[in-house]
Amino acid sequence: MSIRALWIITHEKGEHVSVRFSRRFPTVEYRAKSLAGSSYQAVPEDSAVLQLLLTELGLADPGKPYVAQRDDCLNQRRTPALELHVDSSAKGILWPVLVISRGPLILACLPLVEAGEPRPPLSSLLSVSQGLTLLEGLQSFLGGSEIKTDGDGLAPRLALMPSVLQQVCPLGTPLDVPQARAPSTAGVPAAAGSPRQPAWRTGQHRGRPAVNVALTETVRCMQYGDPSKQDLWDVYGTVTCKCDVEGVLPNVTVTLTLPPNGSPLQDILAHPCVTSLDSSILNASSVDDGDGSAFSGPYKFPFCPPLEPFKLCSYTSQVPVPPILGSYQLKQQQEVNHLRVSVNLKLHESVKNTFEYCEARLPFFNRVQMSTVDVKVSSGHLDVNKEKNLLVWVLGQKFPKSREVTMEGGIRFSGQLPGPVDPLCTDLTAYLKLYFKVPDLTLSGCSVDQHSVQVYSCAKPKIVTCRELQSKEYFIWNSTGPAPVSSGQMIL
Amino acid sequence: MAVSWVERVASFLRSPSRFLASTTAEVFLVELLREQRDERLTYDVKLTMLSPLCEHPTLLCPSACTGEETCLELMSVFSHCPPKYTEFRCQLLLTLTTVLVSTGCVSAHSHASRDFLELLLKLAQDTYYDPADVPSALRSTRAAACECLRELEACCPGLLSQHLELLNGLRQQENPRHHQALSGLYAAVLRNGVHLLARQAGAGPEGLKALLGGNAAVAWEAEPDSPALTDRVASAPLPSVLGPSGLGPSLQTGPDCKELRSVLSSLLEESYLLTPLSQAALFHALTEVVAMVSGVSPAIFKAQLLRLLGTSKVCLFHCTLLMKAAFTDSLFSAEDEAFLLRRLVALCQHPQVSTAAQLFYTDCLVHFPENRPIGAADGGEALPVLFTPRLAAALAPTMFDEPATMLARLNVSALVHLEEHGEREGGAAGGGLACLWDHLLLRLHVVEHGGDRAGVVTFFRASFLFLCHFGHVERYAADLRRRLCALYLRHCRLAPHVLNLADRAQDGAVRPGWAVALLRCLQGAAVSAGDDLAAVSQKDLHWHLRVLARVAEEGQIGQGSTVDFLFAVATSASPASRNEDWRLASDLLAVCRHLLAHPGLDVLLCPLADVLQHVARRHGDTDVRDHARLYYSLLTALSREKLAGVLANGGGGGANGGRQDNKCALSAMVVESQDLTSALTIHKARTPVFHLVAKGRAGGWAESTPAPEDDDEAAAAAGTDPGAPDADVLSSYRSQLLSSGSAAEIALSYELRHLDAGPPGFDRLFSLRLHFEPSAGRFAALPDVCVPRLFREGASAAAAPPAVTLTLRPRAPYPGTLRCSAIFTAQDELTWHAALPDVHVAFRQLFKPLPVPASWGPALRLRAFERLWDEFCSGGEAGSVGEGGGGDASPDRASSLFCGRLGEAELEALLKEHFAPFRVADPGDVTGHRVLLFLPPRSHVLLRIRPQEDAVQFHMATDNWRLLPHVNDFLLSVTDWEARNGVDS
Repeated sequence: MSIRALWIITHEKGEHVSVRFSRRFPTVEYRAKSLAGSSYQAVPEDSAVLQLLLTELGLADPGKPYVAQRDDCLNQRRTPALELHVDSSAKGILWPVLVISRGPLILACLPLVEAGEPRPPLSSLLSVSQGLTLLEGLQSFLGGSEIKTDGDGLAPRLALMPSVLQQVCPLGTPLDVPQARAPSTAGVPAAAGSPRQPAWRTGQHRGRPAVNVALTETVRCMQYGDPSKQDLWDVYGTVTCKCDVEGVLPNVTVTLTLPPNGSPLQDILAHPCVTSLDSSILNASSVDDGDGSAFSGPYKFPFCPPLEPFKLCSYTSQVPVPPILGSYQLKQQQEVNHLRVSVNLKLHESVKNTFEYCEARLPFFNRVQMSTVDVKVSSGHLDVNKEKNLLVWVLGQKFPKSREVTMEGGIRFSGQLPGPVDPLCTDLTAYLKLYFKVPDLTLSGCSVDQHSVQVYSCAKPKIVTCRELQSKEYFIWNSTGPAPVSSGQMIL
Repeated sequence: MAVSWVERVASFLRSPSRFLASTTAEVFLVELLREQRDERLTYDVKLTMLSPLCEHPTLLCPSACTGEETCLELMSVFSHCPPKYTEFRCQLLLTLTTVLVSTGCVSAHSHASRDFLELLLKLAQDTYYDPADVPSALRSTRAAACECLRELEACCPGLLSQHLELLNGLRQQENPRHHQALSGLYAAVLRNGVHLLARQAGAGPEGLKALLGGNAAVAWEAEPDSPALTDRVASAPLPSVLGPSGLGPSLQTGPDCKELRSVLSSLLEESYLLTPLSQAALFHALTEVVAMVSGVSPAIFKAQLLRLLGTSKVCLFHCTLLMKAAFTDSLFSAEDEAFLLRRLVALCQHPQVSTAAQLFYTDCLVHFPENRPIGAADGGEALPVLFTPRLAAALAPTMFDEPATMLARLNVSALVHLEEHGEREGGAAGGGLACLWDHLLLRLHVVEHGGDRAGVVTFFRASFLFLCHFGHVERYAADLRRRLCALYLRHCRLAPHVLNLADRAQDGAVRPGWAVALLRCLQGAAVSAGDDLAAVSQKDLHWHLRVLARVAEEGQIGQGSTVDFLFAVATSASPASRNEDWRLASDLLAVCRHLLAHPGLDVLLCPLADVLQHVARRHGDTDVRDHARLYYSLLTALSREKLAGVLANGGGGGANGGRQDNKCALSAMVVESQDLTSALTIHKARTPVFHLVAKGRAGGWAESTPAPEDDDEAAAAAGTDPGAPDADVLSSYRSQLLSSGSAAEIALSYELRHLDAGPPGFDRLFSLRLHFEPSAGRFAALPDVCVPRLFREGASAAAAPPAVTLTLRPRAPYPGTLRCSAIFTAQDELTWHAALPDVHVAFRQLFKPLPVPASWGPALRLRAFERLWDEFCSGGEAGSVGEGGGGDASPDRASSLFCGRLGEAELEALLKEHFAPFRVADPGDVTGHRVLLFLPPRSHVLLRIRPQEDAVQFHMATDNWRLLPHVNDFLLSVTDWEARNGVDS
């Protein structure tokens, strides 16, 4: 349940790699040595670990097309745990080195294996899930996905690491994850005689009480316009809360409700501050047909809020239709570099026709620049990006009354410079991607009523709730070309 | 100073080994500890300075003794540190714990560890709470003390087990600000206590009761030398009882363990207040306790399960899986199991779960702890029975997955469809399998259209995985082979990937025969390029040859087409540069080499000989030609058996050995085999093996060079008969000096002997070739010297050390050094190169008698001496000797005087010892002695030695004043030596 060492590494697409922070835990190492016996392998110095990690991650020697150690097909990286071969002997292996990597940041740690030979399965080691939790916590502390290696963000956060680790992982046993923002200003320690304070609520709020509940639904979609390929879409939602309420152990309940006939929320994950969950809430799952008598709310989440904003719960939902149904057709004209394009987008009648923004992007890969764009749109306006390889159709805040828009025309490619390359999108394999956000709407119909938020505290807080729908990876594939999906997928 | 410390610490942490190369651990430790007392340093800097001890304690404190001393020092720092520096104080406690544990100091006999434990327990009980304290509950000395105690307990299980009552009391205090730290500590101590108890034979409910109620001092504090101690404190950390074997120690208590149940309930009740990570650790420890104590029902966890299952935290959900593995159906009904599995599958692909966590969940899925496992129980991968294709559909791989996710999902889907396919064996392949195949083809499509390196690697890994599961489904296996060949022809640069896949498939994971079939396909693809060689690029040709070299390792594959292809390549009239291309030819010869070892060689004999002959005759590169000639002679001269023997010598035999060889060839181009390489390589001996020892007395003078035979004639020709007048003596001397080559040479005699402390394995050496390099141009270049053999003394009975005579041609009459090395064959039949100790040529070794023909009598020599003396001392008009007599006065002439304290007898000894060959006798002068030293190439030193009352005067005259210091040194050394000798005797 402890980790032996921790590394924070930055790189820029495999170049300029460096260990920016590392920490070893010698007491855990002492235990590792004693538990592993003859199969013990000490942790080498940072530079050696770095090289081994890069090899395993496929980042070493970026200039060489094939390196046996790096590219062997036997080396199946199917788990979050790597094996580092410190020396060529069968015993010189560090395992399990957990790695999470996002953008320029690579975080790695080596959990303690509390068993000797033979090697136990990963799933039997609590230190692995603890290590992952710690690494994910560190990742969001260091700036999540928007991190820049040389920007202002990372260096000051890295400078805080020794002090942060002293609190969250003082001797290699992770106790907590670091908080992204320091709670010291808001928190006031509890007075003696009050009830137990949660370890994750480090103080009390003083000031105007307020509760903010925001519900965000995200829709992902793959439309092929091909009867042999089933379109796919899914919706998932997240409820984010910020609760400024007084008390050592305040109690808040947020209730999610669905409209009548709404399909049940599935795969619900709750924040650990939720005190109790009804089994009926957890029963619905997206991976199973489930039974017809599925519970459809209300979904109650009683909890004691932490001081900082947090993700109260998330869920998935199955909605019968995608919000925007589209078709995209590219036709090769007689001239080699001439394409006929035709797009049709239809907003479903159940969706509110008020967008914060809505646009369709049509990238063209593996071709030279566009020279002439002779395309008409029935609504909104069309932009061509500077590099002349992307059409942006800005639909604005509203679809027309008919709820249907079209784009027709021809595009010639005869520019000088080659455009972007994507081995997936060759010839007529192409897609358009929709970006939109609709305020005050959820596809599942799920909502948080302002009056349903209960706060058990002396002062009456101000309660604000909101909801919105946004798109992510909303693809509409050209129906005249092969789409990258296996035809057999739906036979299952 | 502070800044420099921060930098020094950072540089230490970056690479301790490099840092300690410039200083020693001892010095650094002393400095670190000393600076902790420096009041000018801020506590922030002092805190940083603890990190070296905190991260590398064993480097700085290599012994328990140093560890102990360091701890005592740090504790004294702690006692002097004001309480307001909380962070520093916490770090000190953590450092102390680290040093104590890592240096193995935690024992009853260590003062430091006793004092430290006392301090920690005091801090843990300290309920004093400063309202001005930092609000974070974790940032406090008390919490740090608890954490230190927990770690000490983890490293020395049982250390605090006598303290459970006390810890429980602290935990249940009315308002403990540190209940998380105390709960964690209590659970860890409880778990270890129960574990140790369960390992004791005959322990029962009383033992458990005593454990829970124990409130003595630290285990070894009360009775440090008690033999009972070994039962209570384990010497090493305890492994998890929830291991894959499933059966840990168990404690038979009967149904009555109220106390334990109530403690567990209260811990579980408040678990909600802990952070998820601490909760997970608590649940894990309590799961272990309940698993060991038969009297407590696992149902005690029931109330917490839903909360844990509903959580978004991977470590909490994982706890339920671990509980399931430990308790199976005593905690989870069949319905619960189905629910848990559904939940797990949902988490494997939940859009709100991170990729790493998804991968972890997927791994948990293939190791799912079933209530009634019927799959692989040996830790291998197997899917739970309840996992249906419907559930698997959620985990189908897609093109948008990251490589690791895709491989994990492909693996799960393959495991599902493997069963499905098995059931329908003989009928149509399952739809699921077709789906996976489609996915593989999509990946292939990306690779074909210029996918990046990651895409290529992922495709080949996916292919390998697919083959491992479905290599027996001929339809797909054959199709994949075909497509891989097509891919190779289109992108020859992918050859290493394709060959790697073939190698791995052949290693056993895939149905036998697939790899050979693939290689056969590849052979066809490669040789098809031979139809139009001109169109094949140089690079592609390299790849084809590499592929064919691998194919040639397979005895089952006919090689006729390969040889035809080789012939086409060798004879093609393509670009002239190709004929010069060493790499290409090496690749070609590598194929030939594999063909030589091919079992079907008989059929290939003639065409292969044609290829080799062609290369041997026509290729532009000498090395390649030689190589081809070697193969040609091997092929034509040796019988099959002998050839196989020669080749197997290097390959090590077998497919694997061949494979290894192939890799060598890829990297070293013309490498034949390990043995041949080492036979052809000159190995370097790290230390000298033998040396040259001067023959006779050390530093003895040169052998007198025999006078040239024609000296008489030369002298006669110059008209210098003994009766010639004085003036002619010098000119005749000079003219014969010019004509005689041997005068400028000195011959030094040495013996070649083994060094006493030479490396082993060199006792019998043969064909030694000694090479000399004169230093700084003092001597003309020497020819190499050959010595037939050298045996170590005693290694061979009658062998005298071989004599080596070095003939030096000095360029200037000064001492110098010869650098020596040798190449020789040792008894292991390898060729070695070794340096010898340098040979120093001393000043005295340069001395020669006056180089005059033997026919010159003493009188003539005396005359020559006198004439020279007059000339050197006069500074007169005659030219220097070397200049043939004529010319200007030489500025190099000089005379000097040296006095030494010598008695008459000593002088006689000295003359005999050092100057005998150089004396010029003068019957008329009984008191004085004349010595004439000739130093090649053409310098002279003349000495008149005259004994006085208490000393001897050495009058010197020379035509090269630069020699005077050397002469002086020499005289000093010999007269001193004489004096010493005199004292000794």
